[in-house]
Amino acid sequence: MNTAGRPERRIWHDTKADADDEIAFHLEMRERDFRERGMTDGEARAAAQRRFGSIENITTQVRRIDDQSAQRKRRTGMWTDLRQDIVYALRGLRRAPGFTATAVLTLALGIGANTAIFSVINTALLRPLPYVDADRLVFVWNTRNGTPEPLGPGCMMDIRRQSTSFSGFAGLSHMSFNIIGNGDPERLMGSSVASSFFDVLGARPLLGEPFHTNAADWSAVVLSHRLWVRRFGSDPSIIGRTITLNGKPRQIVAVMRPDFFWPLITGKPAAIPGPELWVPGGIGDIPRAAIDEERDMTGSRNAGYLRAIARLKPGVSLGQARAEVAAIGERMSREHQDDGGRGATIVGVRDQFFGPAKRPLVILSGIVAFVLAIACANVAGLLLGRGTARRRDLALRRALGATRARIIRQLLTESTVLALAGALGGIVLAWWGMASLSAAAPTDFIADNSLHLDARVLAFALGVSVICGLGFGAVPALQLSRDALAGALGEGGARSSGSRRAGHTRDLLVAVEIAVAVVLLVGSVLFVRSFLHLSRVDVGLDTRNLLTFDVSLTGERAQLQSRQVQFYEALQQRLSQVAGVRAVGAAVTLPIGGDDFATPYRPEGRAFPDAASVPRAGYQVITPGYFTAMGIPLKGGRDLRSSDLRDSEPVVVVNEQFAREAWPGQDPIGRRLKFDPSDTAWTRVVGLVADVRHFGPASPPRPEVYQPDSQRSFPFMAFVVRTEADPASVIPSLRRTAAELDPTLPLAGLKTMDEHLQRSLARPRFLSTLVTAFGALAVTLALVGIYAMMAWSVSERRQEFAIRLALGARGSSVMQMVLRRALGLAGAGILAGLLAARAASGVLTGMLFDVRPTDPAAFAATAAIVAVVAVAACCVPARRAIRVDPVTLLR
Amino acid sequence: MNERTTVDLLQGTLAALILKSLSWGPLHGYGIARWIQQVTEDELLVEEGSLYPALHRLQARDLVTSQWTTSETNRRVRCYSLTEQGRQQLRAELSRWERFSVAVSRALQARKPSKAV
Repeated sequence: MNTAGRPERRIWHDTKADADDEIAFHLEMRERDFRERGMTDGEARAAAQRRFGSIENITTQVRRIDDQSAQRKRRTGMWTDLRQDIVYALRGLRRAPGFTATAVLTLALGIGANTAIFSVINTALLRPLPYVDADRLVFVWNTRNGTPEPLGPGCMMDIRRQSTSFSGFAGLSHMSFNIIGNGDPERLMGSSVASSFFDVLGARPLLGEPFHTNAADWSAVVLSHRLWVRRFGSDPSIIGRTITLNGKPRQIVAVMRPDFFWPLITGKPAAIPGPELWVPGGIGDIPRAAIDEERDMTGSRNAGYLRAIARLKPGVSLGQARAEVAAIGERMSREHQDDGGRGATIVGVRDQFFGPAKRPLVILSGIVAFVLAIACANVAGLLLGRGTARRRDLALRRALGATRARIIRQLLTESTVLALAGALGGIVLAWWGMASLSAAAPTDFIADNSLHLDARVLAFALGVSVICGLGFGAVPALQLSRDALAGALGEGGARSSGSRRAGHTRDLLVAVEIAVAVVLLVGSVLFVRSFLHLSRVDVGLDTRNLLTFDVSLTGERAQLQSRQVQFYEALQQRLSQVAGVRAVGAAVTLPIGGDDFATPYRPEGRAFPDAASVPRAGYQVITPGYFTAMGIPLKGGRDLRSSDLRDSEPVVVVNEQFAREAWPGQDPIGRRLKFDPSDTAWTRVVGLVADVRHFGPASPPRPEVYQPDSQRSFPFMAFVVRTEADPASVIPSLRRTAAELDPTLPLAGLKTMDEHLQRSLARPRFLSTLVTAFGALAVTLALVGIYAMMAWSVSERRQEFAIRLALGARGSSVMQMVLRRALGLAGAGILAGLLAARAASGVLTGMLFDVRPTDPAAFAATAAIVAVVAVAACCVPARRAIRVDPVTLLR
Repeated sequence: MNERTTVDLLQGTLAALILKSLSWGPLHGYGIARWIQQVTEDELLVEEGSLYPALHRLQARDLVTSQWTTSETNRRVRCYSLTEQGRQQLRAELSRWERFSVAVSRALQARKPSKAV
């Protein structure tokens, strides 16, 4: 029973002093008793202490008991308080559904955007790679002028033999395989790898056993999980079965796991969906060359078609290994004439796969962080507005004994509850958005539509929301608790000092919101302008109604160049007869989305001191009719003809860029060049064609040289078919016609040139779409913020307006007064935003096409858009101000 | 009986005695000690100090509460009183003790059992 005062719960009490006092009193009383029985003072004291036992011991025990109990009570007290706060917060939020819905939706948008982008980062940059110690794996490249390029077999063997940094090393090449049987003939992307490949990666199979270092049967093949599912219906007994690849039998020895991620490895880092099967290397364990899988490559030093993966020895750093490989590269280029100008380097496996996605992702995550900041500022503003209405309530609680800390805690609980609700909404939005994000993201961002909500993404969403809850809750919590402290009980309707202070804080929040929105919108406008420029670029050919597909020859037909040419001619001939087809041609690689073949060339009459200074050009082998089919105009001389034969004079057509670089200011027709100093005959330029942007709209045209396939051919070609109408309608007849010629020949990768073009624009489109969406979201949120702020400040000042109107002020002047303040805020925000955007524009350098990051038009457009939005947001509440009925308010 | 059980039993008994001593109203520690010594004739509380850990433990279990008051000699004195929980606990202790002592005394006074049992 608590008789008087408060129960013993003064938790910060000094338990030592208490115990000392208590025991001292006991001893004193005992002494007195003993004295009364006739002992002397000294005897009494000694006897009392003896009687008591160890004072020190007892004091310690008592203190420990008290401390533990106090601690326990504090803990349970805190939980009780928290439960109470949460119940109170939920009740409060339920009572204000409009406020709650606005705040939760705002937060859900902000948190959802962040969660979605984080899920991309989680997949692309953070996820573990399915290799043992992936961080110790590197790719080895030759370099030319600092740009990585594939290795030649000799270079690769030199690096492998001379380096001491690696504990494992495996070369690999990309090649395609025609597969027949088990369905339609099909062309598959595959890889020929050194026998050590799977050992270096430390990758384990799902079924069977892949080949191992120095123990590979030449006829073995390892399937990817995807191919096994797609083509072989996940047959569990597939190991040991023989399939026909490029006309030769190969035995399936293993199926890799579904998570064995292995993209196409190109000099330009990117994670493009990779090989579907792996075969061992050829002679000398050197990966086979796509051009002829049987050829002995051991003697070829510089045929650059190889990639290599290596594992760093324990204790060797990336930097050390890179330095060693660079030194080897330098030595090789000194010792071998052919290597001139080449270096060597290594790239970490993660950088190789995801490096180029990093910068856009960092920018995107910065953008969504800003969006969230705006959302938080909005909610902080809403909380402030709501708080002033609750001043009386808080003051009452304060008067009833709640401490300031308790009130702050309660307000923070409320904001955190809001934020968590927002996080739930955000996760739903992100989950919904991820599907479209997966579909829209270019393949080098996320390899195989693998975005998903894992524990890390969820933890991110919740973590962000808690931080936000505390962040946007702090401002109102501190301010309102102080107002409550001031005891607002007395002041009812009039605009109190507390409310005015909240007003200033809200003004500041709104100005900051506008500024941030301006920064994001400037970014959006820049990206949109850049994308518009990019999509309007003339790539140099007519992409409409142009169908492309790949043909790859196998068996005997592939062996002899004359047979190859014969076949291409026959196919082209037959395809052009198909109804609806206007023209047909073929090239060894197509512009926009095709491979990158390049060659050094030496114009006649020019000497080059070393191999490094020899110019290079894009290299094309084409059938006659290719230019017509592609719509590339002839600018001079003649087209290539089927009468340009192996035994006649070697001829080429060059593009205008080539002419500009090789013979500046002169007519290229009739001039001669050599590709290699060892060439016996000169090659004559017979024609000039217009430039084509081989690497897509974003890259300027490169010098290009076109050779007729009748003089030099490859066992693979990309065909282009110009159709009268929609290319899709002629596909069946094209297939039928090709099958008449050879039923085992797949028409691989059927795509329209428009599709290739769209694909090459996928990344800028993805970026500009996202940036624009987030910019629009930011502006919308800022608009909501301005609107809510204006609505609130007008309602706070209704009495004042009523008095002004009653005293004869005109409605328009009151409205002007309201608008002036809002526009002042908006102006300040816009100005600050433009300055901030100007300062931050550097981060976009190199990401925009044909637009400077400081493009004045983008800045002006943004300022105009935001100003219009701000005025619109202010007008509605401002009109409400003058519609106040003075009588009702003043009564 | 090992030593541990003896201590437990003693502590339990001491706790019960403290609760009993407070059943007539608030007391300070010295008052409780004196009452226990009087009624048990110094059998149980050999060292007076051991009273205090027992008291504070009861307080931690919310069976007793304490207030600081001032004595005639103007010293801070901690006065303990029973809580409602403490009162219930005391009743439970009493009935348990009665059952226990009846059982023990019945056992100790029993005659030699007949073979039929």
